[in-house]
Amino acid sequence: MPKLTLKFDNAILGEVPIGSKEVSIGRSPDNALVIDNPAVSHYHARVFIEEGRMMLEDFGSMNGTFVNGQRAKMVMLKPGDSVTVGKHTIVVSDASDMDGFAPVGASVARPAAPKINETVMLDTKERREFLRKVAAVGESAQVAPARVKVATLIVRSGKTDRQEYALTDKLTVVGKSALATVKLKGWFAPKAAAQINRREDNSYYIGAADKTPSVNGNPISHPTKLSSGDVIAVAGIEMEFLLRD
Amino acid sequence: MSTTAKPMIASALDFAARSDTGRARENNEDNFQVAAELGLFILSDGMGGLDAGEVASRIAVETIHAHCRDAESNPDLPFEGQRIDGASETSNRLASAIRLANKLVRGAAGEAAAAHTGNGQDGSPKTAKGMGATVIALQFFADRVSVAHVGDSRAYRLRGSEFLQLTDDHSLVAQQVREGHMTEAEAESSPLKNVLMRALGVDDAVETEVDEEIAMEGDTYLLCSDGLTRELSDSQIAAVLGETTDAQSAADQLIDLANLAGGGDNITAIVVRVGAKSGRALAKIGRWITRSGN
Repeated sequence: MPKLTLKFDNAILGEVPIGSKEVSIGRSPDNALVIDNPAVSHYHARVFIEEGRMMLEDFGSMNGTFVNGQRAKMVMLKPGDSVTVGKHTIVVSDASDMDGFAPVGASVARPAAPKINETVMLDTKERREFLRKVAAVGESAQVAPARVKVATLIVRSGKTDRQEYALTDKLTVVGKSALATVKLKGWFAPKAAAQINRREDNSYYIGAADKTPSVNGNPISHPTKLSSGDVIAVAGIEMEFLLRD
Repeated sequence: MSTTAKPMIASALDFAARSDTGRARENNEDNFQVAAELGLFILSDGMGGLDAGEVASRIAVETIHAHCRDAESNPDLPFEGQRIDGASETSNRLASAIRLANKLVRGAAGEAAAAHTGNGQDGSPKTAKGMGATVIALQFFADRVSVAHVGDSRAYRLRGSEFLQLTDDHSLVAQQVREGHMTEAEAESSPLKNVLMRALGVDDAVETEVDEEIAMEGDTYLLCSDGLTRELSDSQIAAVLGETTDAQSAADQLIDLANLAGGGDNITAIVVRVGAKSGRALAKIGRWITRSGN
């Protein structure tokens, strides 16, 4: 059965299944999903099933309802969608679809003597089959990779050895260290102020080292994914992260 | 840019490794290998019936160690697979070693199947279904550490109060969580949490995930099999790493706690500390005494 999971930051505040009864969302205590926050209207929105489709309707709320970042009035929901109400997030998931995938794994690697918690491995063909099924459910992140973009750091202010850096390495160190790519100048510059990792999927994450960097003015608390246009501030320098074609 | 540098001196690392069968299984399918002179730490969790799991994980750790050791003395040692752009020589060699291990585990799986059932009727070699292994390997060099993995064995790092999982599991549920189809809680209780998307010995080629991190004095790294992470929460693991003063007692306590929590699977932990903590504290006290004496 599909369900809605209410989150604030990363904390899960509640879960409501979506069945034949609609799920009302709002600040009033008689809603099925209560969000006690002044930014939320008393009767803010509802989620309901119609002709087998999961729908979201905003009741003309003051601050709006956003689905995957887009303001919505009446919109169809699918598993994986993220609904934002005020500062809270409601994640749509469909656990029942997952159960349907069991045979994929179950058909392989059954040893003669089954043991507890036996690990099962999927080979390329099985993995593809699985991903195809996920795609059929409605959404998959396994879309064909877009053209590889070149990640660049442009120094806006502060003392560095260059104005611009192409981020082609797996690890880019910002600091005074001999192994740093973005070389900081000045007596008190840290050896390694921060690091940028290029991950397997060519996404970039910034992490702390001797200093805690800020992204768009917010100090990071864990490695944070960078988007084109993000402004990084660390150890007295300010840089813009850009993805170019 | 590739970085060639001498391995970090072993004396700068305090390390300990321990493996335990646990309380539910009859044999230990985990294997590990430590090559301090190379700054190299390898852990593998094997799977498959009879003794296939032990064989697979042993082949994995031995192959990776031998390849990295040989590459150290012979830079012309043949390279397995494609080089990863922008990764250091150390990372590339580690990835090469893991690809080679995949080939050998796959070969052994074929032999095991042939011994039991003979070749397939179509003439193609049959493989021992279910024989495979995960791997997590760390290699320290200069001021960095390469982190390479396949499967759901993990690496963590404790730096100050920050406890971070350095590896993303190559498991079905972890992928579902990353793509937003599942919550962490659902993944925990999913009957599919044993399904791996990548492992050594399954396909002719394996995608090896490699990352590089800055290694800083005071960092504590943990390599572990899922027998540890299924029993203990991140905060429990972080507490043990933060409260113990040496790598050996950290590894011992982690294994003991996982057994107390149930010991449902084989448990292996390798703990590596960069720069001994006590040594740092002494150095600080030393400075303070010097200063106050002035």
